[in-house]
Amino acid sequence: MVLLESEQFLTELTRLFQKCRTSGSVFITLKKYDGRTKPVPRKGHVESFEPADNKCLLRATDGKKKISTVVSGNFWLERLLAYSNLLRANMDGLKKKDKKSKNKKSKATQ
Amino acid sequence: MPHYQAWEEFTRAAEKLYLADPMKVRVVLKYRHCDGNLCIKVTDDVACLLYRTDQAQDVKKIEKFHSQLMRLMVAKESRSAAMETD
Repeated sequence: MVLLESEQFLTELTRLFQKCRTSGSVFITLKKYDGRTKPVPRKGHVESFEPADNKCLLRATDGKKKISTVVSGNFWLERLLAYSNLLRANMDGLKKKDKKSKNKKSKATQ
Repeated sequence: MPHYQAWEEFTRAAEKLYLADPMKVRVVLKYRHCDGNLCIKVTDDVACLLYRTDQAQDVKKIEKFHSQLMRLMVAKESRSAAMETD
C-alpha cells in the first residue's frame, strides 16, 4: 500500500481511472482516521496515544495497484475540492438522462 | 445488506450510521466505466447500506455526499453542523 502526498495521490488516482476505462473497477474507500501508526496492543499496556480527531484516510485501488493518502489539517478544503472535481471529471461514463431532466443545475458537469 | 432505491433514504440512513460511531464507519465507492455504473456503500461492519446507479445525474449527488462525509471526518467534533451549511 503506497502512502502518498495529496497531490501525488490525485495524479495516481487519475491514472487509475484512465487505466480502468476499458475494463475493471476503481474502488475508493474513505474512513475516519485517528492517526495511529502502531497496532493496538492485544492486552497489557494502555498505549500512551492521543487520538487525533481531524484526519481521514482515502484509499484507492483497481484490484491490483493500491494507493492511499491521509487528509487532515490545513488546506483540506482545497484538496477536497480538487478531489471532487477529479471524481466528477472521471466518472462520466454513466447514462445521461434524455431531455426529461427537470433539474437544470444538475446538468452543470459539462 | 439493504440496497436502497431512493437516494434520500440512503443518505439519511448513512448519516445516521456514521454519526452513531464515526470511527467504525467506512465509505466505499466502486466505479466501472466499462459497465457504466457507480455504487456507494456505507458500512460499520455490522450494517451495510448500498446504493447503485447507472445514471449520470446521480454522480453529482454521490460525489457531493462523499465530500460531505469527508468534511465531517476532517472537521473537529464541534463543527459537525458542517452538514447543514451545504
